[in-house]
Amino acid sequence: MIGSFMDRGRLAGILGVVFLLSLSSPSRLMANPQQDGAVTATSVDDPSGYRDVVRRYCAGCHNDRLRTGNLSLASVSVANVGEHADVWERVLDKLQTQSMPPPGRPRPDSDTYDRFAGWLEVALDEASSANPNPGRPTAHRLNRLEYVNAIRDLLDLNIDGEGLLPADDIAFGFDNNADILTVAPGMLERYMQTARTISRLALGDPAIQADTVRYAVSSLLTQDERMGEEFPFGARGGIAIQHHFPRDGEYFIRLRLRGNGGRNEPQEIDVRLDDERVALLRVGRWPTAEDKNAVPAGALDLRTNRSSDDSLEVRLPIRAGEHRLSVSFQKRTSVTEGVAPSRLPIWTFSTGRGFVERMALDSVEIDGPYATNAFVDGNSDEVGELASRRRIFSCYPEFSEEEESCVDEILRRLLRRAFRRPATDLDVAVALGFYREGRAGRTFDAGIQRGLESIIVDPEFLFRLERDPVDVLPATAYRLSDLELASRLSFFIWSSIPDDELFSVAVAGRLHEPVVLEEQVRRMLIDERSQVLVRSFGAQWLHLRRMRTVTPDVNAFPAFDDNLRTDLVRETELFLENELRNDESVVNLLTADYTFVNERLARHYGLSGVYGPRFRRVEWDDARRRGLLGHGSILTVTSLATRTSPVVRGKWILENILGTPPPPPPPDVPDLPEPVRGASSRSVRERLEEHRANPVCSNCHARMDPLGFALEHFDAVGQWREVTDGNVPIDPSGVLPNGTAFGGLPELRDVLVGRKKAFVTTVSEKLLTYALGRGLEYFDQPAVRRIVREAEADEYRWSALVLGVTRSMPFRMRRAEP
Amino acid sequence: MIITKKSLPRRTVLRGLGSAVALPLLDSMVPALTALERTSAASKPRLGVVYVPHGAVMSNWTPPSEGRGFEFKRILQPVAKFRDRLTIVSGLDHAPAAQLPGDPAGGHGRITGAFLTGVHAKPTEGADFEAGKSVDQIAADRLGQRTQLASLELGIGLPEFGGACDAGFSCAYISTLCWSTPTSPLPMESRPRAVFERLFGDGTSTDPGARQTRLNEDRSILDAVSEKVKRLRKDLGSRDLAKLDEYFSAVRDVERRILRAEADVETELPVVDRPAAGVPASFEDYVKVMFDMQVLAYQADLTRVITFLMTPELTAQTYPEIGVPDPHHALSHHENNPESLEKLTKVGQYHATLLSYYLEKLDGIEDGEGSLLDQAMILYGSGMSNSNLHNIQNLPILLAGQGGGRLRGGQHIRCADETPLTNLFMTLLNKLDVPVESFGDSTGHLAEVSHL
Repeated sequence: MIGSFMDRGRLAGILGVVFLLSLSSPSRLMANPQQDGAVTATSVDDPSGYRDVVRRYCAGCHNDRLRTGNLSLASVSVANVGEHADVWERVLDKLQTQSMPPPGRPRPDSDTYDRFAGWLEVALDEASSANPNPGRPTAHRLNRLEYVNAIRDLLDLNIDGEGLLPADDIAFGFDNNADILTVAPGMLERYMQTARTISRLALGDPAIQADTVRYAVSSLLTQDERMGEEFPFGARGGIAIQHHFPRDGEYFIRLRLRGNGGRNEPQEIDVRLDDERVALLRVGRWPTAEDKNAVPAGALDLRTNRSSDDSLEVRLPIRAGEHRLSVSFQKRTSVTEGVAPSRLPIWTFSTGRGFVERMALDSVEIDGPYATNAFVDGNSDEVGELASRRRIFSCYPEFSEEEESCVDEILRRLLRRAFRRPATDLDVAVALGFYREGRAGRTFDAGIQRGLESIIVDPEFLFRLERDPVDVLPATAYRLSDLELASRLSFFIWSSIPDDELFSVAVAGRLHEPVVLEEQVRRMLIDERSQVLVRSFGAQWLHLRRMRTVTPDVNAFPAFDDNLRTDLVRETELFLENELRNDESVVNLLTADYTFVNERLARHYGLSGVYGPRFRRVEWDDARRRGLLGHGSILTVTSLATRTSPVVRGKWILENILGTPPPPPPPDVPDLPEPVRGASSRSVRERLEEHRANPVCSNCHARMDPLGFALEHFDAVGQWREVTDGNVPIDPSGVLPNGTAFGGLPELRDVLVGRKKAFVTTVSEKLLTYALGRGLEYFDQPAVRRIVREAEADEYRWSALVLGVTRSMPFRMRRAEP
Repeated sequence: MIITKKSLPRRTVLRGLGSAVALPLLDSMVPALTALERTSAASKPRLGVVYVPHGAVMSNWTPPSEGRGFEFKRILQPVAKFRDRLTIVSGLDHAPAAQLPGDPAGGHGRITGAFLTGVHAKPTEGADFEAGKSVDQIAADRLGQRTQLASLELGIGLPEFGGACDAGFSCAYISTLCWSTPTSPLPMESRPRAVFERLFGDGTSTDPGARQTRLNEDRSILDAVSEKVKRLRKDLGSRDLAKLDEYFSAVRDVERRILRAEADVETELPVVDRPAAGVPASFEDYVKVMFDMQVLAYQADLTRVITFLMTPELTAQTYPEIGVPDPHHALSHHENNPESLEKLTKVGQYHATLLSYYLEKLDGIEDGEGSLLDQAMILYGSGMSNSNLHNIQNLPILLAGQGGGRLRGGQHIRCADETPLTNLFMTLLNKLDVPVESFGDSTGHLAEVSHL
């Protein structure tokens, strides 16, 4: 929270220990109980009394001469906190966490802390209401996710965003930060290219040429079992693809294999389109004596041994639109479906240990369309029934005289949705120009295609622009128009453009009415599109996206493959979605006594009785794994490749649960030396204790490490363990800086729940950051407090938080250009 | 002066990925160009950078002796066959990548950020990142004037995840080497299909008429976009305008490219199959197709400056195909463990094998009076030496190609102690006729320049 507007990084290192002590704020959780008993509460509710508190306990260091922590309280007045709200917000944070004055200095009693904090909070909130500063988010380029969703909602067309557009940078934890969504050189060309591709796909352009799309299967994906529910029973390995086929026509499906290349066993490969078998390919044979003499099994060159897949090609007519293609091996044995009880590590196949990987799918290529008149009842002019065409053509001219009015209707609707505002005549005229260009000498469709292309490359589609009203005074706060509010809502909850209902409520000028706003927000949350809150907001908040790139050491965790990687993320997503859909209290994230697992994950967690790839809800009997802190995904992203890191885990909790990130480590601090192999192993705990003996380190590590210790029963991929790698029994206990001791995770969880306001505040801050697309500033703190305060009556339910955000001043207002 | 088109257009199909089919001789197509200068035998130097992360096991990189008769150590053995066109430059330091007092720990962010910029990257995890204009971009300002694309930035396995990429350093520093200004990192393209489309457009025909139509269509879109931006300017605030101005300057870039492309519209382009959408499953195929794209870009003279990040710093890339299943970064903290050093050596050698694929392809294409490799100056190397300690002294640096006779090749040069890497950049820029007064922490040109 406070850390979001203080540049701790730059300050760090200027001063030594004193600086660290003064700046780092022990969390809201870990108030330091040390008090100077000689001091009594200042008996005031008028500001002058608090002035004495400041003078007595703070100004000794924070004066104009010393400016400790780059802060002087000499010239700021408690009589008018609004004037220096930035400073007072910092003071408030220190008061609430009782983290200043530093240990060893005289400090007020607890009552004074509380009353001063309470008074200051009210004063700051009042100052903010009297003179609101909602901030001013910059013009916001749609990020990749928003672009893809906007196209989906505009045209009923799913596009491959990752294939078409570059990834977005991240700031303040989210990739929808307006400041960082810049337009790099080359980007416009990319947008032009993409607009062309999309308009062709949407219309099913008859000129679409055959193209090849490759879907590669990760080599870290084990293909020994049924990969998911989208595969037939008795299948093993393979891939299921949701693919957009641009036109009716013939397509080639080509398969490439890896592994033993069919030398060791005959195999059948099942190819299905929308769950119906379209081919059963036979490949491989039992080895002959010749094979055995020719190539020692362990020495096969996996990259060149592809002779057996040359013929793996299926050619079939496919209707335009999206279809699911699945390719898998048929299990030949009668072994019960499920995870093989044990197997060699996935990487041993090429390490010369004599084990050769089973035949597996390397990639699938879809190539087409060819012979677009492939269907008996079709002819080459028919593109097929595309959902996108149905969406676009609200009318279709039968005679050329009807074209003019139909074009107008089509373009006007597209423009309105794409620009998130009613289309002007000028908009239509511009798009119509492109229509005519495309229509000239060609078809009606070609005209619409060109018109569409011009719309989705327009800056008003690509950017979210908010315009100051003409009559507003510079640098004052003004209320957003209903249309602008509609866009903010839909990009927040759906990461997409408003739908027709939201749009019409906004056009009618009713969206700002509290009842209408609430109705819309609730409707939007129930809508399926809100699922993106989990995948985008949730995944970024909890760092789940890092699961894509974590690489637990193969020697230490041989069973960690891409299947598990995917399942771990899926578990957390399903859990978050369930919480959101059922509108639970966000506090439940910490305590929930259930989760979702499939067989593989159940095995990972040591649960029995769960079979197959389908995820299902399971209840926890004991308190070990309750809530997010028991999720393997989070435990893995907060670990190092070879071992757990209580420091990283502790830091994660401070940042994402308690909202009090520690400052970066001071410069030139060496990393914790890794134990030399073969040397007597000491536990990480012991080594960290040495680390904390250094006073420069101890201030922050006393906050981080104990939190991490509580999670030590979970190894670096989230499996339960009783001893560490060095066979030292796990000790999950710890003592927080304020003296609170806990025996393990369940007790720590109770402590966290006891301070749930800190957690809810963190979630609210993250949610508001995401909703606004900008980093929070000191002047946003009153809004955050209000969201938390108002959600309390509703038990901090998700809907209460989301509603709070959408009602908040920074969400509904904007500051005019200075 | 007009040159009539008289040479026989050659069309060859480059099929598949990572295939070793020779590309056509673009030279025979050159007379179709309208400008005399481009048809003259004047050499066209190309600058390339190929970056590999996590340094090298120096004892297996550095030849034991200097001069011409040096002996290749294991890592560079795969490129030994190009000996007479290689220059190994030892002893270069990169002080801008050093950790300064107050710097956060993130060594890899600092090293990548500094590598081509010669500037100490500003430690930040936010949007206020800052480094310096990179050497490739300085070269591109000049070399790019004659080509459709001033430069091309490519990379594989770039980070795409939440938070900072390295303690205290934004992902921007890790995911690119190229900066057009101190505050504008240039994103690197990782998708082969997108690279292809950037080079050749998404049209499936290379017929001049179709290309002209396509260019006209692009132009009318650009005109409409410019008009719209002008109209929007009136009611937007200053920061919004800055954002739109980025967009507007992108419009200018594309217009400029269209002009250039129109001049070239009669040029025969090699007929090539587009790489499939999606990326190859194997690292080797992936790197090779990215090299193929670079060869094509040079061959068709669409750009003369290409930077390629073979994999980024901190990468967790594993190499089971050569018996190294360990994630590269974790492995690079080898602690002098002989087994780890051996594996790292294997990885280094593997990367050099891929480099040799590239060099071979370049060498297979005639350009001017020699091959593309003769015309090119490819800087290959890493921003650190000993990865265990993130050493920024004595970097592993190799120059391949002869820059159209500007590099002698065939030797191992050892620079005086503490010679900045940027001195080499100064010298390279000089050889490319893009002289600069100074660059980063440079102290002058490479003293050993006479040997180069």
